[in-house]
Amino acid sequence: MSAAAASFSAESDVGAPAPILSLRDIHKTFGSHQALRGVNLDIRPGECLGLIGDNAAGKSTLSKVIAGTYVPDDGVIEMEGRRAHYASPLEARDLHIEMVYQDLALCNHVDVVGNLFLGRELKRGPFLDQKRMLAEAEKMLAALEIRIPRLTAKVANLSGGQRQAIAIARAASFQPKVLIMDEPTSALAVAEVEAVLELINRVKARGVAVVLITHRMQDLFRVCDRIAVMYEGTKVAERLIGDTNLQELVDLVVGKGGEA
Amino acid sequence: MTTYTERQRGSQLADFVAEHAQVLSIATFFVLCLAFFGLMNDNFLTLSNLLNVVRQAAPILIVAVAMTLVIATAGIDLSVGSMVALINATAAIVIAAGVSWPLAIVLMLLMGALIGGVQGWFISYQGIPAFIVTLAGLSILRGAALFLTEGYSIPIRDAGGFFWLGRGEVLGLPVPALLAVLVAVLGFVVMRKTAYGRQVISVGSNMEAARRVGMPAKRVLASVYVVAGVACAVAAILLAARLGSGSSNAAQGFELQVIAAVVLGGTALQGGKASMLGTVLGTMTIAVIGNGLILMHISPFFTQIVTGTIILIAIWMNTRLFDRRWRWGKKKAA
Repeated sequence: MSAAAASFSAESDVGAPAPILSLRDIHKTFGSHQALRGVNLDIRPGECLGLIGDNAAGKSTLSKVIAGTYVPDDGVIEMEGRRAHYASPLEARDLHIEMVYQDLALCNHVDVVGNLFLGRELKRGPFLDQKRMLAEAEKMLAALEIRIPRLTAKVANLSGGQRQAIAIARAASFQPKVLIMDEPTSALAVAEVEAVLELINRVKARGVAVVLITHRMQDLFRVCDRIAVMYEGTKVAERLIGDTNLQELVDLVVGKGGEA
Repeated sequence: MTTYTERQRGSQLADFVAEHAQVLSIATFFVLCLAFFGLMNDNFLTLSNLLNVVRQAAPILIVAVAMTLVIATAGIDLSVGSMVALINATAAIVIAAGVSWPLAIVLMLLMGALIGGVQGWFISYQGIPAFIVTLAGLSILRGAALFLTEGYSIPIRDAGGFFWLGRGEVLGLPVPALLAVLVAVLGFVVMRKTAYGRQVISVGSNMEAARRVGMPAKRVLASVYVVAGVACAVAAILLAARLGSGSSNAAQGFELQVIAAVVLGGTALQGGKASMLGTVLGTMTIAVIGNGLILMHISPFFTQIVTGTIILIAIWMNTRLFDRRWRWGKKKAA
């Protein structure tokens, strides 16, 4: 395992742009449970980093540290070369770090437009400016080539893929530099997975650093540039996508990486 | 060769009907009630009787509009009847003690906001279920009203302007009815057109999502109980002005009528879904049934049984018949 970690640091420095977000020696403990035991991770602009690992390997905790939901017990976070301290998702948003949660955080009883503008509704005088929000929402979705037939439909009536797309479009509209996505494809049908993966590629093409947490290994090879593998609260390996294959990643996830 | 075709966009009308099924169903039911009682009794569909129905329904309608906000957040306020009684009695006591009636009205509105605020604080910031907090409120507030009045009715004397609120007319229309319509329109606009209405729906639909996008979710949740308190104060003032007295026995069973009206109108107890128009129709349906049965000389004791049964049937119809996807036109051949 230590061999795998050492080999990564040699290969990851080759020709890569400067990281936008750097995590150094991140520790997080919940009671007696050591969720993160000293994690180092670099996230680069315009690149998709796949974060994989078994359940309870620490990938969710790590993503929540990046998103500001958890504050690490120890370690350093650097955003664009400067040390960053943030203690909530709202403070992370000020640093242009966004997260799309697995539950999407959409309001089912509110229409598509309303969800895109949730919490920052456009107003004209005391009233909601529905017309302007509708026009802006159309632009927002068109920029990411997302097709929703009727923007005044309640979100409850949409498919899983459409809901995922709306959550991603909302996060993208905050002009993030780092966008974390937690299992965006896990509950979707085949065609919807394709649409979401294409969407991730379009977000990436804007220069956004994307962190993708997933259990679906085949997705990694479609969108990711680098893969970080978590195991028992540590990052055991990091691979450029061209240097690895499905079997190696599976071995790394289940803890047989050292023998391969 | 495989040909791919895209789904055609379905009928807009079907979407509309699916989204407003419950309002359409209560509207149908309301019209049926009007027709039925109109046929059974010649006096029912007269202007003076209908205005009388609206005047009597005014306090229920005003509180039902506020209750729509409360239920939209997935909450409930069981204390509204007791709150009306307490404020009704207090208004009479304060005016009898020599306070001018305009000042008394302001004090009563503040009292309603304060009581609602205390309940809202327990529910929102302390996380106690709304059902429990307002059930306690139901008992405490009614008890306080009984304690203050010792069970007697307290007369209000020499306050002409005050009585006008409950008995007066503008252009032939009763003042309480006008006030109620005003409140309903206000409720409709707030719910549909303002950021506050959107916040209420969002908190009821997905509290966690509302919190994550930076909405003041707890404050919004507490605020609906303040709105309910103020609405109760308005209803209590109207009652006191109409009857010319304050009594701890006012508004018995009021909370049940209000909640029935809101639920009948299609507002979901699970939160997130609210219809002001439905609430107005629900309130008027209950009022019309009560009035119609009296005009038919059916025993007033029987009225409660009929009202309860009709509420059960109407809501059963709502869930079984109307709350499903509607398909218009022919079924597609497979």
